[in-house]
Amino acid sequence: MATAPDLLPYDRIRADLFRPLSRVSRRYMLATLIFFLVGAAGLVAWGFQLRRGMGVTGLQRPVFWGVYIVDFVFWIGISHAGTLISAILRLTDAAWRKPVTRAAEAITVFALMIGGMFPIIHLGRAWLFYWLLPYPNSRLLWPNFRSPLLWDLTAIVTYVTGSVIYLYLPLIPDMAQLAEHNTPWRRRLYGALSLGWTGSDREWHALERAMKLMACVILAVAVSVHTVVAWDFAMALAPMWHSTIFGPYFVAGAIFSGIAALIVAMGILRKVLHLESYLTRRHFDRLAKLLLLMSLLWLYFTMAENLTVWYGNEPKEMAVFGARTRGAYAPWFWTTVFLNFVVPFVLLGIRRLRTIAGATIASASVLTGMWIERFIIVVPTLANPRLPSASSFYRPTWVEAAITVATFAAMAMLFMIFAKLFPMIAVWEFQPHPQEDD
Amino acid sequence: MYLIAEFREKDTVAAAIRLLRAGGIAPADLDVFSEEPIDLPRGVLERPSRMSLVSVSGAILFGALATAFIWWTQNDYRLVTGGMPVFSFWATGVITFEMTMLGAIVGTFGWFLWESGLLRKRDRNAPVPTVDPGAMCLRVRCRGNDIAGALDALRRAGAGDVQREGEV
Amino acid sequence: MTHTQHRWGMAIDLDRCTGCAACVVACHAENNLPVSTPELAAEGRTAHWIRIDRYYQGEFPDVKVKYMPVLCQQCDEAPCEPVCPVYATYHNPEGLNVQVYNRCVGTFYCANNCPYTVRYFNWFAPQWPEPLPLQHNPDVAIRPGGVMEKCTFCIQRIKRSKEDAAQEGRPLADGEVRPACVQSCPAEAMVFGDLNDPESKVSRLAGNGRATKLLEELGTKPKVFYLHKAT
Repeated sequence: MATAPDLLPYDRIRADLFRPLSRVSRRYMLATLIFFLVGAAGLVAWGFQLRRGMGVTGLQRPVFWGVYIVDFVFWIGISHAGTLISAILRLTDAAWRKPVTRAAEAITVFALMIGGMFPIIHLGRAWLFYWLLPYPNSRLLWPNFRSPLLWDLTAIVTYVTGSVIYLYLPLIPDMAQLAEHNTPWRRRLYGALSLGWTGSDREWHALERAMKLMACVILAVAVSVHTVVAWDFAMALAPMWHSTIFGPYFVAGAIFSGIAALIVAMGILRKVLHLESYLTRRHFDRLAKLLLLMSLLWLYFTMAENLTVWYGNEPKEMAVFGARTRGAYAPWFWTTVFLNFVVPFVLLGIRRLRTIAGATIASASVLTGMWIERFIIVVPTLANPRLPSASSFYRPTWVEAAITVATFAAMAMLFMIFAKLFPMIAVWEFQPHPQEDD
Repeated sequence: MYLIAEFREKDTVAAAIRLLRAGGIAPADLDVFSEEPIDLPRGVLERPSRMSLVSVSGAILFGALATAFIWWTQNDYRLVTGGMPVFSFWATGVITFEMTMLGAIVGTFGWFLWESGLLRKRDRNAPVPTVDPGAMCLRVRCRGNDIAGALDALRRAGAGDVQREGEV
Repeated sequence: MTHTQHRWGMAIDLDRCTGCAACVVACHAENNLPVSTPELAAEGRTAHWIRIDRYYQGEFPDVKVKYMPVLCQQCDEAPCEPVCPVYATYHNPEGLNVQVYNRCVGTFYCANNCPYTVRYFNWFAPQWPEPLPLQHNPDVAIRPGGVMEKCTFCIQRIKRSKEDAAQEGRPLADGEVRPACVQSCPAEAMVFGDLNDPESKVSRLAGNGRATKLLEELGTKPKVFYLHKAT
């Protein structure tokens, strides 16, 4: 079975995919400007927080981790869209992946850039974040490598390095083509970035080999990164955090929200860049099935996590369980179940509803649901500490809301800029000599 | 000097390479240019690669260095926290793993730049043909008395137009 | 970790505690803790290195209130310590969990990992209404905004007493070091001393049948002992 673009002539593919790079419409400028302004507003809010102190957030003893950590876990989760999905599809030689991977890899890089900011935004003295880097302080004391936060730092540094290279490698041939006929500054940009790529068989061999190896490595790194994020919680001696299920639970949740982010991005790109003949219903259908599978896996993990706690009936854990399922945070918990399971199950489980629109709506629902799910994981545990007299309730403030909204705008802006600089689909992968028989 | 021949079919390129190699031209002197990766049949133009080896070596190197580094920093300034040992593989396992993976990434990328020839051009003046989509160009580097044989091989394989570039 | 010279500990007799909160006030004065306003308190911005937890028994009007002063338990195996990426909190040779304010970057991780919730954060730069700044204790640093802090067992008093004893060329006597809370307790419910000395008052109280440790089952090995009769 050939994918749709294989039926199109190569020149047409090239024209279609390079076209968005050369035209900047008024609507594009307006949208980018709006996203930029929203993002800038978030920076102003952060500036306010830096100046006044962390007290401008809703954080209070004992809820020391709030929306920022939720955002951190959420964005790192989104970053699993790219590398993981594209690496799995690359390794299994799934030919239908071709129009999907570039967008996925770009999501990864941008989501990591955004997610990686949150641990810094969250610091009490954010301007000293570099004290976590491995260099000795004035008394020759190095950082504490036993801290899960340093595990996190190394994991994210590795992941960012890996996913930037993973995005960059297959861009090289496209950029070499783009450097051929273009405006002068673009010719210089693409020429420099494509490192003098000539298209010789040595280069192609090295590229394909490197991509195979990178796919293997990035797969392991992606799994480990979200496991380490989960371990930030699971290493703490807090009720319902200190659980062995957290690693796989977070990885599954990350892939789940990553696929959802990819489907939403594809839904938008398809319309905006007129890629209807490249991102077809077949692509959405396959990704939707994957999303449905992950939805069921999410439900399974949620069941496993909560049932064991409920059955064990340990008082400190039950306080958290109660706050989640019937107390102050219950509406959010049940919203999560609805958005993450009921909506995708209906929209993606029934074949007639599994359309492009259906899959996009289900994915938007999953994205919302997964953000709230992270909130449900982070906050009720902290609000119900082991000594009940210290319990409290956490309500985010406008500063936290502004910074959160700004990161979504920043993601949209970065993605839009990327779409103007680089083709959203790897052009060279639609070769006129079909080599992979499906 | 260089000979450049354009082909449309993968089989004719393969045939040309076979004839050239039978005529004594080394694989290092042959380059096939295309706008997309071409899979030539096995044994035609193998490009042996050490990328996996470099990748694994990089991984082992980074992982071992990172672990040794942590061991040294922890023992250089021994501070006890939470009743944990000053150094333990449990607590450093994650960092060892991540740095191992970073070593693999750096090794792969570095070796990609080296092996693809992007960093190390053997001949900066070598002509690079412009290839049409779907076409392939075979570039042959040959010296003095090989030229005639190479030209003949290319013609026999079915190359249309053969260009000569560079000094003899 | 072995504590070669001293191993500081505290015993709190809950049957004597009246919940008067004199210890809280004394701690604020001794350790330069900022004074809160009602608005800030409502936002949860208060910090008390020692707090009085109240537990109620029975139905109104037949209510019994139990008081429990909770301060940093100075655990031997403290969960707050290994999670700090910059060693702002570590275990010193006398068994104290030391908080180094200058090193703290404010990741909050230690506070999340403290089962006793006794770590306090400087949400804003600290402020005192006039003339309170005039009574600051010169032996205690004023913490900037953005760092974590907690009970130190009045480490400045421990240091002072050790220096005094060394100058006079005598060993430190039992009961010579008295943290502000211990000194101010009118019911004499709190006792501070060296757990390495088997003859010290705190060691004897720690061996008392009424002694328990808070959340002992977590294996944190706290050095604060709560004495109360079994009910």
